[in-house]
Amino acid sequence: MRAPDLAAATTTEALTTELPVGRSTGWWGMVMFVATEATLFSCLLGSYFYLRFQHGGEWPPGGIEQPKLLRPLVMTAILLPSSLPMIWAERGIRRGRRWRLRIGLAATLLLGASFLALQGTEYDELLHEFTITTNAYGSLFFVITGFHGLHVLVGLAMVSWLLAASLRGGSFGARRHDRVRNAAIYWHFVDLVWAAILFTIYLSPRL
Amino acid sequence: MSAQPGPRTRLAGGLLLWYAVLGGAIAWAVHLFVAWGVDELTCAGGSDRIGAVPLRLVVALAVVLPALATAGALLAAAFAWRRTARTRPDGIAEGALGRTRLLALVGLWSNVLFLTIIVLGGVALLVFPPCQR
Amino acid sequence: MSTTTAPAPGASQEDLARLDEHWGERPSIRSWFSTVDHKRIGRRYLVTASLFFVLAGISALAMRTQLARPESNLLSPQEYNQLFTMHGTAMIFLFSTPMLFGFGNYLVPLMIGSRDMAFPKLNALGYWVFLFAGLFMWASLPFGAAPNAGWFAYVPLTDDVNTPGLHMDVYALGLLFLGIATTAGSINFIVTALKLRAPGMSLNRVPLFVWAIVVTAFMVIFALPALNLDNAMLFLDRRFDTHFFDPDAAGNVLLWQHLFWIFGHPDVYIIVMPALGIVSAVLPAFTRRGVVGYVLVVLAIVSIAIISFGVWVHHMFATGLPHLSYSFFSAASTVITIPSGIQIFAWLATMVLGRLVVRVPLLFLIGFIVTFVLGGFTGAMFALTAFDQQVTDSYFVVAHFHYVLIGGAVFPILAAIYYWLPKITGRMYHEGLGRWAFALVFTGMQVTFFPMHLYGLFGMPRRVYTYRSEPGWDVWNLVSTIGSYVLAAGLLLVLIGVVHAIRRGRPAPPDPWGGDTLEWATDSPPKPYNFPVLPQVHSLHPTWDEASRASMGDDATADRTLTDGRRTLLTSELDGRRERVVEMPEASLQPLLLALALLVFFTALLFAWYPVALAALLAGAVTIAVWLWPPRRPEEELGVVS
Repeated sequence: MRAPDLAAATTTEALTTELPVGRSTGWWGMVMFVATEATLFSCLLGSYFYLRFQHGGEWPPGGIEQPKLLRPLVMTAILLPSSLPMIWAERGIRRGRRWRLRIGLAATLLLGASFLALQGTEYDELLHEFTITTNAYGSLFFVITGFHGLHVLVGLAMVSWLLAASLRGGSFGARRHDRVRNAAIYWHFVDLVWAAILFTIYLSPRL
Repeated sequence: MSAQPGPRTRLAGGLLLWYAVLGGAIAWAVHLFVAWGVDELTCAGGSDRIGAVPLRLVVALAVVLPALATAGALLAAAFAWRRTARTRPDGIAEGALGRTRLLALVGLWSNVLFLTIIVLGGVALLVFPPCQR
Repeated sequence: MSTTTAPAPGASQEDLARLDEHWGERPSIRSWFSTVDHKRIGRRYLVTASLFFVLAGISALAMRTQLARPESNLLSPQEYNQLFTMHGTAMIFLFSTPMLFGFGNYLVPLMIGSRDMAFPKLNALGYWVFLFAGLFMWASLPFGAAPNAGWFAYVPLTDDVNTPGLHMDVYALGLLFLGIATTAGSINFIVTALKLRAPGMSLNRVPLFVWAIVVTAFMVIFALPALNLDNAMLFLDRRFDTHFFDPDAAGNVLLWQHLFWIFGHPDVYIIVMPALGIVSAVLPAFTRRGVVGYVLVVLAIVSIAIISFGVWVHHMFATGLPHLSYSFFSAASTVITIPSGIQIFAWLATMVLGRLVVRVPLLFLIGFIVTFVLGGFTGAMFALTAFDQQVTDSYFVVAHFHYVLIGGAVFPILAAIYYWLPKITGRMYHEGLGRWAFALVFTGMQVTFFPMHLYGLFGMPRRVYTYRSEPGWDVWNLVSTIGSYVLAAGLLLVLIGVVHAIRRGRPAPPDPWGGDTLEWATDSPPKPYNFPVLPQVHSLHPTWDEASRASMGDDATADRTLTDGRRTLLTSELDGRRERVVEMPEASLQPLLLALALLVFFTALLFAWYPVALAALLAGAVTIAVWLWPPRRPEEELGVVS
């Protein structure tokens, strides 16, 4: 089967297929914004590894303990699935089902808020041990997780804003849902970044 | 050749063209980050082996595999350019054909550039021990 | 005041009146603050960037006056440090890129046959943020609190122990503030060029200037975050005692340099690339043919952009990498010269094969090629490490990058000013005045900077506020100073030429040069809606081809006139196939309000008024929420099931 497929894919008709096509300006704007934000996070996480390996000695330095794993894993189990109701809501509104949009957004909001609450309790505990001014590790830990937390907060603001607009009525429907889609792209991005942070901050020191 | 290709075939064709255009660039980026990162980090750790594997072999793989991917993209670009050189079939806009040929040609030459970079950088593997400073 | 109009528009008087009603802006103070017209915003970018250029130029004149003779004490060392830092920072961040973005703003929608940018309000926001960020940085100078540690601000010199005071806080916050404008502008260029091209403008018919601007915008998207992060870390280290760059607490000073050059090397091309796009846009009109090797020039633009991200380590050869990993970077540094060379030879071939029309813009292009190639030549000399070690931090380096940047950016910008002045103002400039300006600028530039090679080789270090009398230093420094005044006189003559054109110039026809791109197919200056009928593009040189011209005249159709509302066309990303009609936003004060909130935010951060900063941030968030709030529509129109 493969050979004929390949032959079909290399006809002029197939090669001239336009890809990507038909996206809205808002979609492209959000994708570009997420691209530049993703670069920012790559630089931030890259700086973590750079400082760690240039430091050479024990890591975390200065007698700071290895980060505990249980709470961040629970946080992951809350944040990553929070994309699912978002997807469900977006698919719903594309078919004009407003109730799905409302319920899905509310569920995402709840999950995101619990994530932030858990992060708050983690900070509360850790700040007794080390702070942003203890050493470069402390600076990295709090700036990376704090900056991501800020992104979650912004994402939650977007979701609440969408929820408010959808509760008002007359905002979204099968033919008007660009804003939902763009906010969803941002939210999925914030989730994905957390996976990278989980690996960098919590898992990689144990490797 | 008269039948219109289905959506999956079209997707495959479109992706193939993008591989022909950007394959070399992406392969080079991967090569740069992996070869440099592995070399730098392993040497900083004071060893020239990763586990049981010699560092030289790993870096060599980080040169050869991207080079092969770039060569593949080069072939794909040359192929796409030749394929679209024949007379324009019905039902394809002049713009779409011209655009495809532009992208194929840009891909062709850029893959040559990236292949040159990877090979030029990789040659050093024959000369320098991986951790010499 | 009225200027000649484009020949026989395919739209009726009735259509034109309706377009005017939807797009026209009555002159008022409110409309001055609320406009979202890309042409007005583009003009403002040009004027504001020129203002910052004048300020940075005056700083340079002050420094040259100080250095005219040895042991002069016109300026104190503290003043000198602030002047050279602000000169560099402003020329790089507040002049080059915004000036070129200004041309992009004005020209990209015209060249691709659209009625505005993809996000007109975001465009207005970008301008206000740029203006406020520039003022924010320059305002520190009269208070003696301007940045003072060089434009690349290496730690540990810039930490809070070695440089106390607000100086480097102004630098870090100012560049973060400005970064918002640059990023917003870049996203806008990319989306505009992808979605708003006239029907028929497939990628192989996109003007080279637009390619250059879009590729530059992509570079900004991927390079600027590194600088932003660097500045955020610097500010946190200085203000909140974090330890990113503190080796005593597991930090590392080289982190600054890595992040800075990950941004900095692409930034060289971010500055030069749009200027090279200007060269490709201006040449066809004065050689009477298209640029030779369109595909190769596109290839050069794209591949330079990509490869430039893989060469940053060559700024830091002295930091002790294994030879093997250095070879990966030097391979890229070597090969990037190939596409750069392709572009130069494409232009030379265009000039050889074309019929030269010697007017002021062409003179500046020739000045560009000569100067830029000389700068490239000294650049290649640095590749010899032994030589590099000898001249590092001497005036030789200063000579080199002024040849690259004045040659590679300022000359093309001057060519662009003369070339598009008739389009932007509707008036022709005075040719004789322009030629004198070129002669003075070119001579002044060479007389100022060529001697710097010499006293650089004689060992004079850069960034010193004065020097003892040494053989070879005194005379050549005086020559440089005289040259800088000649250069300033030439630039003043450019300004006089522009003012003269606006006041006294004869009215410009729509197409005074016989240019090949779409901006020449509409009025000079264009109406607020740009094109009465959006064109249908049939070739790479639409203004030179009958079918494309006719599509705006006799072959006009109602689905490209779009007179009911502020409307323009969306087309497909690659092939420019017609997709749908979109409504464009009206004028609004929200961009200005948001920019003001950001100004308050950054000022409050600078002076450590944190509650005020928080309040400003909230005000900004509310503005965005209102800005994007969906209008209420009937359920049938939305398509709601339940």
